[in-house]
Amino acid sequence: MKWSHGVPQAFDPYTTTDVDIGDYAFGVYDMLFGLDSKLVPQPQMIGDWSASDDKRTYTFQLRDGLSWHDHTKVTAADCVASIRRWFQTPGGSLVQQRAQDVSIKDDKTFVITLKEPLGLLIDQLAQVSTYPLFIMREKDADRPPSEAVTTHIGSGPFKFNEELFVPGANITFDKFEEYVPRSEAPDGLAGGKIARVNRVIWNDFPDQQTAVSALQAGEIDFLGAPPADLYPVIESDPNLVLEDLYKSGYNYFLRMNCLQKPFNNVKARQAMLHLINQEAFLRIINPSPQYSRPVKSLFGTGTAYTNEANTDWYKEGGDAEAAKRLFAEAGYAGEKVVILDPTDWGEAHNASLLLASEMRKIGINAELASTDWAGLVTRRAKRVSVDEGGWSIFISSATDFQFGDPTTAAWMAMNGEESWFGWPESAEYEALRAKWPDVETLEERQALAREMQQVWWNYASLISLGQVISPVAHRKDLTGLVGLKTGNVPMWNMQKG
Amino acid sequence: MSLLVYYILRRLISAIVVMAMVGIFIFLLIRLTPGDPAAIIAGPTASEQMVASVREQLGLNEPLPVQFGQWAQNTLRGDFGTSVFAGRPVVQLMKQRMEPTLSVALLTLFVSVVGGVTFGILAAWRAGGVVDRALTVFSALGYSLPVFVVGYFLIYVFAIQTRLLPVQGYVPIGQGLGPWFAHLILPTVALSLPYIAFIARIARASMLEVLSEDYMRTAAAKGASPYSMLFRHALKNAGAPIVTVIGLSFAYMIGGVVLTETVFNIPGIGRLVVDAINNRDYPVIQSVLIVISGIYVLINLAVDLAYTLIDPRIRY
Repeated sequence: MKWSHGVPQAFDPYTTTDVDIGDYAFGVYDMLFGLDSKLVPQPQMIGDWSASDDKRTYTFQLRDGLSWHDHTKVTAADCVASIRRWFQTPGGSLVQQRAQDVSIKDDKTFVITLKEPLGLLIDQLAQVSTYPLFIMREKDADRPPSEAVTTHIGSGPFKFNEELFVPGANITFDKFEEYVPRSEAPDGLAGGKIARVNRVIWNDFPDQQTAVSALQAGEIDFLGAPPADLYPVIESDPNLVLEDLYKSGYNYFLRMNCLQKPFNNVKARQAMLHLINQEAFLRIINPSPQYSRPVKSLFGTGTAYTNEANTDWYKEGGDAEAAKRLFAEAGYAGEKVVILDPTDWGEAHNASLLLASEMRKIGINAELASTDWAGLVTRRAKRVSVDEGGWSIFISSATDFQFGDPTTAAWMAMNGEESWFGWPESAEYEALRAKWPDVETLEERQALAREMQQVWWNYASLISLGQVISPVAHRKDLTGLVGLKTGNVPMWNMQKG
Repeated sequence: MSLLVYYILRRLISAIVVMAMVGIFIFLLIRLTPGDPAAIIAGPTASEQMVASVREQLGLNEPLPVQFGQWAQNTLRGDFGTSVFAGRPVVQLMKQRMEPTLSVALLTLFVSVVGGVTFGILAAWRAGGVVDRALTVFSALGYSLPVFVVGYFLIYVFAIQTRLLPVQGYVPIGQGLGPWFAHLILPTVALSLPYIAFIARIARASMLEVLSEDYMRTAAAKGASPYSMLFRHALKNAGAPIVTVIGLSFAYMIGGVVLTETVFNIPGIGRLVVDAINNRDYPVIQSVLIVISGIYVLINLAVDLAYTLIDPRIRY
């Protein structure tokens, strides 16, 4: 089985949020809990678990048959070490703040003791939006996350083939024969992870046209994100299928620097909400209307918390006059607005060009600072004014799924200096966000989401440009692909013929 | 010590100076280019704290002179360091990627030399004839068609429509000569077209010049066969400029296979360095460029030495 797939060079999932490394980790490592297709956590490595009446002590027992790729048994000590390592990442920080202790009870049992109850504990152990809790061997997990794990010994259904690995070019995964899948039917990241093929090879195609040709010729079976302009070629080939596997998409957004003029003024930021017409941006990011849609909610389009609160006042955007008026009210006096333009990322580059054009039309002194992504990520960390090498706006994207968790999505915080690039600050919003982990029911959390969104769009540090759905392409005889809303495609369950 | 040995030693010493200058230039150029490998490793949505932690781990907070000193010292010891992304020795990465690149480059060189020299000789022998005019058309096409256009065309015809050859990829020679060769045919054809055109034009011009010499008329008058005239008398005397362009072509080829490797998905040295540049993987960029500079220098030296074999009058 051959895939066109990005091939990472470094692999430690505790050091990066890279989606390719996520795919690798889902195959090689296993998780305590897995989210099912409805995003409800279900036991995966865990057999039984229980919580004390005061909800402060959780006891977990590993299921039978778990072993590492080096043929040793998975123990509670491995889980405890992995949890402690995870605590040091943004993905585990919430549980770490509440945890009093994580201890081994016996070979297969471990206990998490909390200082105070955490309604989201199991959801957090299962979360995959940022730095998921992958279970590693104790000797690997004992390293701090700043020290990358370089071995590939997991307990997942696929083994990494070190001998055939060419960094940056291809990876070979072999079926782990000793893996014991759960008996339940596969469902998202939950249920039985059954490896139905003996070997999966990822090839990193630098040119997507060639990848589509290879798919047509039957040299590969799967192509993760074919370019939109080649959809017609794929659709017209009787041997190929174009499939919306993820049932989700990537949300593009622009982020403003709230520390510097003009976007240190709320009216200038709100002006951008009026100016941005998502339909226009979507047409240049992805020309296929059936694979894109606008995003109105802070919480994306398809999460449990998607809502319409506080979105009426700027309507659909595209109101240049309102934007112009608000910039004037903000006291805009022709200051330079620097848009970081990543020329090696086609979608963001095109969106940057359109953004600059739209801003110039209303008299904003917009200037494109062309760079590659590597240059952009360096410059966006600068908090100084644009004259001193700072910035005003950059464009980024994240999966829609990630917008469903404001505790782990870095860009959904507004804690000033501690915040993600752009550094918005709102004590009111942060007070609401702090309640998120303790809310017990879904309805209560949905109500909280509406309150947060009320503050969020008034502050307006981030403007949605719309959502692009990336269908996958594969040979018709490839079946059983499992799509995750995270944008990941696990290797289990699929088969040929 | 013979003059030739002295000359080679002198050239090798100057090559070391050139490569040292190249090293300093590369180091400064990539360090002064905006970009942070730590931010790329941490991922697009990582927090500043995570990026700072990775940067510390990679030693990127050290002052520039300290970093340069460490790199220069290690390079002189033959230690090219470790890739900040792959966490593997750069030498190991280069070894994995060298075979595909050399396979494409050497096969392309072979096709280009055989095709170009033959084409050039025939065009010169019948200057103004059909072959000569065909060369003019072919040269225009060879120069003007970008390798990716030719590549996509070849893929469409020979891989998708007729299924005669594979679309992409590389099979190491150790896994069989047949698959290795089959995977190299299309990239070689795509890459060699401009070089065939280039070498053929130079070969034609050199041959025309030689063919009009008095001694060629003498050879003809003495009843020398066309084969003898072309290959024994003319080609030998026209050889120096041809060898020069072959050497130059090979040097350009080593550095210029990036696009071919991209179109045909060949995991070669070109892709390694492009990925490294995108990721700001400093040790890989520095090492690959130093090695390529060294290859350039050695090829130039080899070309200079080849002159003495072609023309015994040339002495160093």
